[in-house]
Amino acid sequence: MRPENYQAISHPPSNEYELNFGPNHPGIEGNYALKVKLHGDVVVAARADGGYLHRGFEKLMEGRLWIQNIALVPRICVPDPVPMEVCYSMAVEALNDMEVPERAQWLRVLQLELSRIAAHLFTFGGHAATTGMYTTMYWGVADRDQILDLFEEWTGGRVYHIYNIPGGVRRDIPAGFLDRVSHTMDYIESRLPDYDNLFFTNQVFVDRARDTGPMNQQQALEWGVTGPNLRATGLAFDVRRDDPYLVYDQIDFDIPTEAPGDAWARTLVRRQELKQSIHIVRQVVEKLPSVSGPVRTQIPNPLAWNVPAGETYTRVESSKGELGYYVVSDGGDKPYRVHIRGPSSMHAVQVLEQLAVGARLEDVAQIMFSLDACPPEVDR
Amino acid sequence: MSKTVTPWLDNLLQEIEGIEIRRKDSRRVRIDIAADSLPTLLELLRGRAGYVHLSAITCVDWIDESQFELVYQLWSYESQSLVSAHIRIARDPGVYVSVFDLYQPAAFFERDIHEMFGVYFEGSPDMSKFILTEWNGPPPMRKEFDAEAWVNETFERKEYQPDWLKEITEQGGGIVKSPEEARQKKP
Amino acid sequence: MKNMKEIDIPIEASVEQSRTNPLARVFDELVRFCRSRSMFMLHYCTGCGAIELPPAMTSRFDMERLGIQPMVTPRQADILLITGYVSIKTLKRVILTYEQMGSPKYVIGICSCTVNGGMYWQSYATAKQLDQYLPVDLYIAGCMPRPEAVLEGMRKLMDRIRSGEADGWKDYYRRYDWYLGNQQHLFGDDWQTPADVIGEASHYDLAGSGTEGEHTHLLQQCQKPLEPQQTFFQIGGSLEVKGESHE
Repeated sequence: MRPENYQAISHPPSNEYELNFGPNHPGIEGNYALKVKLHGDVVVAARADGGYLHRGFEKLMEGRLWIQNIALVPRICVPDPVPMEVCYSMAVEALNDMEVPERAQWLRVLQLELSRIAAHLFTFGGHAATTGMYTTMYWGVADRDQILDLFEEWTGGRVYHIYNIPGGVRRDIPAGFLDRVSHTMDYIESRLPDYDNLFFTNQVFVDRARDTGPMNQQQALEWGVTGPNLRATGLAFDVRRDDPYLVYDQIDFDIPTEAPGDAWARTLVRRQELKQSIHIVRQVVEKLPSVSGPVRTQIPNPLAWNVPAGETYTRVESSKGELGYYVVSDGGDKPYRVHIRGPSSMHAVQVLEQLAVGARLEDVAQIMFSLDACPPEVDR
Repeated sequence: MSKTVTPWLDNLLQEIEGIEIRRKDSRRVRIDIAADSLPTLLELLRGRAGYVHLSAITCVDWIDESQFELVYQLWSYESQSLVSAHIRIARDPGVYVSVFDLYQPAAFFERDIHEMFGVYFEGSPDMSKFILTEWNGPPPMRKEFDAEAWVNETFERKEYQPDWLKEITEQGGGIVKSPEEARQKKP
Repeated sequence: MKNMKEIDIPIEASVEQSRTNPLARVFDELVRFCRSRSMFMLHYCTGCGAIELPPAMTSRFDMERLGIQPMVTPRQADILLITGYVSIKTLKRVILTYEQMGSPKYVIGICSCTVNGGMYWQSYATAKQLDQYLPVDLYIAGCMPRPEAVLEGMRKLMDRIRSGEADGWKDYYRRYDWYLGNQQHLFGDDWQTPADVIGEASHYDLAGSGTEGEHTHLLQQCQKPLEPQQTFFQIGGSLEVKGESHE
């Protein structure tokens, strides 16, 4: 069939090409696609094409009990699953007017920050790989595993923890765990100068990332950019500080910013956030022994739990940006509607489409990684 | 920088008719408004109160009232407060105006609502499919679409019948009630 | 350039026939050993299980010491890893990718979702049983399987290649009609791919009673000549993706 059927595709008599960038492409993050139009090797237009990871979470959650959804939500963002659990739990707590014990709040902060460190290390690895520096990827993934080991000891799962439930957390930390957290933090901090030498001040990386995919603060606000990408344009906004949740108002941390707004600045912001997260983890480790009490409040029988009717919008700062859950209850044992606002739904679609224009083809992957776009959040 | 919603905002909003403002806490304000007045409200909030960040647009399908509820979450970096504006539109024909000219992030959310709920937004830059390009069924997030029934119709399932389970079943034990039966019992 | 069909490629299928050369068995053994020790797996992250592959590949667990490396193009890859749930949109691309890969090729289904839909059993967007659409040589269960489990699965696959049991790719040629029927059931009757599977089956001498049937007849009826893909970039227009088979 092939020889008779096969027709060579006639190219237009110009230097313009259309190219499918993904979904099966090593430069793409996850299972995602871009259709790019090229002139030579310069992108003149880009269209995002998502849906490859679509599972219909919002529909699935309407068909499951409030407590069952806890197992579902971490799958929405695979590299950084903890904010999903926390944000959903916070939404259910808000609907129930439920108080979370203080110890559980500190434990959640500890888990959120460890997850942020892990996610940033993973992103550095991916970003370095797109500029051809695979050693950073090997290091980043191996150091991230140190944190996954902590999670495994703590919750039983390496990647998905299903640890936060409405009303608190499932169990307390094991004995001697805080020492191991401090030890791992010391280790990761001691590695940071190595990363600086290898990657962040590497001339190859600096030259590649400088002025790649730049946006100014005005554009970032127009496009709905949040998180480290927004802070890389000079605006010091962080949900943790400016719309505080859990016990973040009792914690001391800085919000690093950079002015240029290009791929280099975005990566540097994450690099400094790593340091801040380590700082926060140390504060939690110091504070936790003095906070006693239960780790969760009494909840009704979760299999017959009718959450009072109402609606709420909760948001947390995930490693990618602002994560929001809009949850509606009609008084039943299942959510009436859950809407998930993944930060990447802006970054991976509209922002990427805009920033890719004018870049060279080999930089498209780098721009995507520097935005820390997470396709499963877009597709849900 | 004030940490609460500024009082003059209330006075400003009183200019709009048919508006109901409820304050949940110092950072959250809920506004219910007639669908026609929403663009005016958003223009006021954006232009004069600094609500420049559209955090999300959510559609809720109230099938019993045959209405769609659209919720616009707006954040102000200056007053650090979140306004959620709620409107109701008729489920049929399910058409509303786009707010893309005010908030560019609206393009993604409107496109998403269009393919998931079938609500058409007039003036939105792109109403083509994004996620469900290869889906021919009805908009899946509508309440009348029963995903479970569709799945049972379309896919087969592997039976899990290991020998040890068969033995237990023969002796009268094992899974006595199938999951389907268990689910049917629920009201 | 020589016609594809004239190039004589030694393949395992001939093992079943009587061999005259006394060294043939030794030679086959050697080929299978070499195959099992140099496997290139396609770099395609279809689902969440892909997050455990970087740890499995990099310094800590280091899959490379088993001779397993990621490969970026399907035509040079041996293993297609299906890392988790496949949405229907992805499944089309996965099948296109699989048919582009050169034989012998192996499919590994990672995570529970590939077995029976996993926790997305009621989702309208994901395909439930991967082995209805592609011949799966090995499943690695778990949600998600740890890197050790991935490595263990890889070793198992190596053993099966050495013993000649991993022959899912032959099954795809032998029972192509059944696989195609399932694909058509999900994607619609006009589903087609650029690969000529029936021609390849007869080339490999694997065409059997199950290779052709009602579904392949339907395919031939619906088959359209390949057309250039429509442009994506119309100002104010919509993203029309026509002629999916080009991707």
